[in-house]
Amino acid sequence: MKKSQLLLLIALMLIATVFISACGASGPKTIKIGINAPLTGDIPKVGEGTKYAAEMWLDDINKDGGLDVGGKKYKVELVIEDNESKADSATKANTKLITQDEVLAIVGPQSSKQAVPAGEVANNYKTPMISPWSTNPNTTLNRPWVFRAAFLDPFQGVVDAKFISDEFGFTKAAVLYDVASDYPKGLAEVFKKSWEDLHGAGSVVAFESFTTKDTDFSAQLTKIINSGAEVLFVPQYYNEVALIVQQAHELGWKGPIIGSDSWGSAETVKLCGSDCYGSFFSTHYAAAGATGATKEFIDRYNAKYGYVPDDVAALTWDSLNLLKQAIQDCGKITGDIAKDRQCVRDALANIKNFPGITGNMTFDDQGDPTKCAVIVKISDKGEFEFYKQACP
Amino acid sequence: MAVKTNTSTTGAKTGRLAKAWQPFTRVSMLSWLVGAFAAVILEQLVGRPLAYMLGLGKIPVLFGFVMMLKTPLLIPSAIVYVLLIYIFPIAIIARLTTSVGNKLSAWLLRYPMAVSALIHLILLYGTLQIWGSINDYRNLVLRLTFIAILVTLSLNIINGYMGEFSCSTPGFLALGAYGASVISVSMFANDNLFGPAIFPDSWGVFVFPLALLLGGIIAAIGSLVVAIPSFRTRGDYLAIISLAFTFIVKSFIENLEVVGGPRGLSSQPDWANFTVVFIWVTLGVWIMNNFVRSTMGKALNAVRDNEVAADAMTVNTRRTKMVAFMFSAFWAGIGGGLFAHVLRYVNPATFGLQKLAEVLAMVYFGGLNSVYGSIVGAVGFNLLSEALRPLEIYKWIIIPVLLILVMIFRPTGLIAFKEFDVHAIIAPKE
Amino acid sequence: MVSFFQNLVNALQWGSFYALIALGYSMVYGILMLFNFAHGDIFMVGAYIGFFVATGLLALTVSGSIALPGWLVLLLTIIIAMALNSIVGMLVERIGYRPLRDAPRASAAITGLMIGIILETGNLALLGAQRLSFPPLIATETYNIAGVNVTNKKIMIVGVALFLMLVLHLFITKTKWGMAMRAMAYDFAIIPLMGVPINLIAALTFGLGSALAAAAGILYGVAYPILDPYMGILIGWKAFVAAILGGRGSILGAAFAGFLLGFIEIFTATIFPSTFRDLIAYSIILIILTFRPHGLFGEAYSARLRL
Repeated sequence: MKKSQLLLLIALMLIATVFISACGASGPKTIKIGINAPLTGDIPKVGEGTKYAAEMWLDDINKDGGLDVGGKKYKVELVIEDNESKADSATKANTKLITQDEVLAIVGPQSSKQAVPAGEVANNYKTPMISPWSTNPNTTLNRPWVFRAAFLDPFQGVVDAKFISDEFGFTKAAVLYDVASDYPKGLAEVFKKSWEDLHGAGSVVAFESFTTKDTDFSAQLTKIINSGAEVLFVPQYYNEVALIVQQAHELGWKGPIIGSDSWGSAETVKLCGSDCYGSFFSTHYAAAGATGATKEFIDRYNAKYGYVPDDVAALTWDSLNLLKQAIQDCGKITGDIAKDRQCVRDALANIKNFPGITGNMTFDDQGDPTKCAVIVKISDKGEFEFYKQACP
Repeated sequence: MAVKTNTSTTGAKTGRLAKAWQPFTRVSMLSWLVGAFAAVILEQLVGRPLAYMLGLGKIPVLFGFVMMLKTPLLIPSAIVYVLLIYIFPIAIIARLTTSVGNKLSAWLLRYPMAVSALIHLILLYGTLQIWGSINDYRNLVLRLTFIAILVTLSLNIINGYMGEFSCSTPGFLALGAYGASVISVSMFANDNLFGPAIFPDSWGVFVFPLALLLGGIIAAIGSLVVAIPSFRTRGDYLAIISLAFTFIVKSFIENLEVVGGPRGLSSQPDWANFTVVFIWVTLGVWIMNNFVRSTMGKALNAVRDNEVAADAMTVNTRRTKMVAFMFSAFWAGIGGGLFAHVLRYVNPATFGLQKLAEVLAMVYFGGLNSVYGSIVGAVGFNLLSEALRPLEIYKWIIIPVLLILVMIFRPTGLIAFKEFDVHAIIAPKE
Repeated sequence: MVSFFQNLVNALQWGSFYALIALGYSMVYGILMLFNFAHGDIFMVGAYIGFFVATGLLALTVSGSIALPGWLVLLLTIIIAMALNSIVGMLVERIGYRPLRDAPRASAAITGLMIGIILETGNLALLGAQRLSFPPLIATETYNIAGVNVTNKKIMIVGVALFLMLVLHLFITKTKWGMAMRAMAYDFAIIPLMGVPINLIAALTFGLGSALAAAAGILYGVAYPILDPYMGILIGWKAFVAAILGGRGSILGAAFAGFLLGFIEIFTATIFPSTFRDLIAYSIILIILTFRPHGLFGEAYSARLRL
């Protein structure tokens, strides 16, 4: 490359630069929303559900020609970051979203192990963040800028314990959970406590655990079967549910198996098959027999991506709509990002009885929603049927 | 014929590159640092308006890589920005100050070497601090990269200098992170596990080093679990002993409800700012560099190359191994403590097989038996994984492919078996 | 007592997987002195190949072009997947290991680790994030023998695993190829001078190991019918522990250690509170290795180990 060629190249670059900057400057005003999701790593399915729900939500906004805030249409841009299912990466992603991309608000991360440290970042930078799926109390505790869309373990565990006692009249329960993952562990402990409150100490006759990614549960299940338990509570994710239920039946377990909201995925039945028919679980919504907005969401998602959405997708959808509501309640976008964030946060905190597809939501002073749970039965056709509702 | 032209063009190319480099061969480290310092000041002053003028919107965080991948249209602007803000100023100032810088370097070396080294370090610190102050994301990446240097180097002592294949780093990191966090969280933070803070946050300056040291010491004691079996075995068997150690530590912490079990510990006080991280990491690198260049380091190499012969040559192999493991674990523990306080959250799941693969990749990518290598490995790997972020899933195909290529063409890593000679670095170049 | 036998049966099944995967590690390790950290992911690929072969065969059966009973489909699946996966294994060897034959062994371990990540991520990028459900090829039948529940699947899995181990053992001890492999394990430098084609033998070693991994993957799919791109990581690392616990290059040792690891994991979960399973199980491994530092069946450490 000769000197003249180099100069020519630089000149060309400068021209291109000026041209692009001219284009970039006259764009419409946009609202940026960050999505922090685990697209790779342990739970890619969760990341996929988040991404799909967010894209569907964006399509809706775009169809309306933008987000209507105080009579003005704003273009919405999603900035999706992969947190690789790692705590440090989630922190980096949040910092990048807030300080570099200057998003108005963040939806995600999903798992508590990323949401707790990422929530710290959001709170420090005074940026509203909604974690759709995290159930660890620390995610929102003393963090006025952090909200969540899921109900917490202490509520759900009690609901499950009460439901089993009322429905079957059992007094001896067994629990099988993942000791290395905080959602199942938290729920298992709350369930144990509330069960023993109902039936006295020692009424949880087997309290067995395994470690994330295990696939063989025969030792624990053998112990559970020999303990004389009448019901098995499995607060696990759907992939483990399928294995646990099948292995339990192979080892001769006859009683009912009860689960939690993490069962609420189309994959549960797909992976588990007829072994799961007749089981109950507590969750946010029942896909079969859903009505109104919930049904519409499920059908559209199903048509677009080819499967019934998980609870993650539904909660992400709700979180984004909560955010939309808050932005609209805010009334105007000033362009001063700090002011707008403050305004959105206040609006979020003041939302009352938001009609989400996973139930009506009102945030308490910690940013946790108070909402009802439903008990769902897996029918003999493998559909999630509404069975009962339980409110706090 | 074709081959011939081919070689001649590449020859010419390297020739041209060498020619372009010619004016810079005599530039001392001092001049480079001054140039870099000037560049970051320039960015501080005109970065924002320049970035706006170029249509970038804001200052590109990591030299524009992230931007380029997201909107390829901005590639020319980003290149122009990097040229104008970093490359030209650094080159011009480095060239202009060549003779002054060399004279100054020579003059400084008349005093004890520490003086000159300290001045270089202060310049480096100032440069990075100003560079990082533009944007907190940059700052965070910088801090985590520095910690990665410390951790990578600590593993290099075992895997590179001593020639073992240790998989215990995640375990040491976890011990250090929890050791330091227990002190800081229990006494200085309002959290729901240990209750309200007992002491004011301002004591952090004094307590944080102690907390980190405690974490390091716990990790060093924990390393005995791996070090003692290493007296009788090595290589493959030691690899799985160390792997078992990692599993044991993770399982142990998961069962330790006092520190939160799988939920982890959060709300660590915000003590690990860039200054603190910088001081600890430079201290660590300096001490580890001295360690591997001492007779102890030679003993490590002797154990690696031939343990029996080393024993015959009066190297106390047991003592060598034990010291090396404890020393390495200590610094990994310090790294873990810093990591926990940068993230302000720590949980056992972080210290699993994924972390292990990451640290191993950094060590072997950078280069065995080399402090340079560890620095290059940690910085390269971290920058790469941040720069390729917009590629989402494909990032984890491209990074491994790059690493495989490095391994195939340079089997011992990018910069292996090279001494990190501080004197040669800071000396004048004429 | 009933519960003891029940756990014994469970441990036999669980140990079969460790043993089959550990054999692949152990062969590569014994013959080429390499850690093949991609092996867990080769196991994953084997399971996925098995999934597609089985689904394909079932689709043919349903469409009526051929009528095959479930057990035959399973048998065919195992054979086809073993063949295909051995090609994958040889490719991995060609790309990731052969260029590094003279490099430090640890460098080759790193390429293995990276190939593993490529296989995982590539799978994720190609097939998307959903988990696949392995088709139930044979109906589960549960036999209750004196209070112990045994399924036909369990019997089949342990049987096939033992059969494959026996075949491998015979191959290595009785055939010319096996002799070449043993010779290579004995001395890496001299053997090429004797006219043994080392590249071919190395490829064969990887191929055989990967074929076994594919068989393990399909049996795994039968027992735990959920496939995801990251399924090979944990079981792979644990089988690696078993392979080395068995002793360097000892095929029988690796198989035995695989079963032993299965027993340790199952019985620690049974006897102690199951939350302490990993803690206790790996402490036991650590103690075993402290007292038998060269594995259960390994020869004593010699100074010519190169790393």
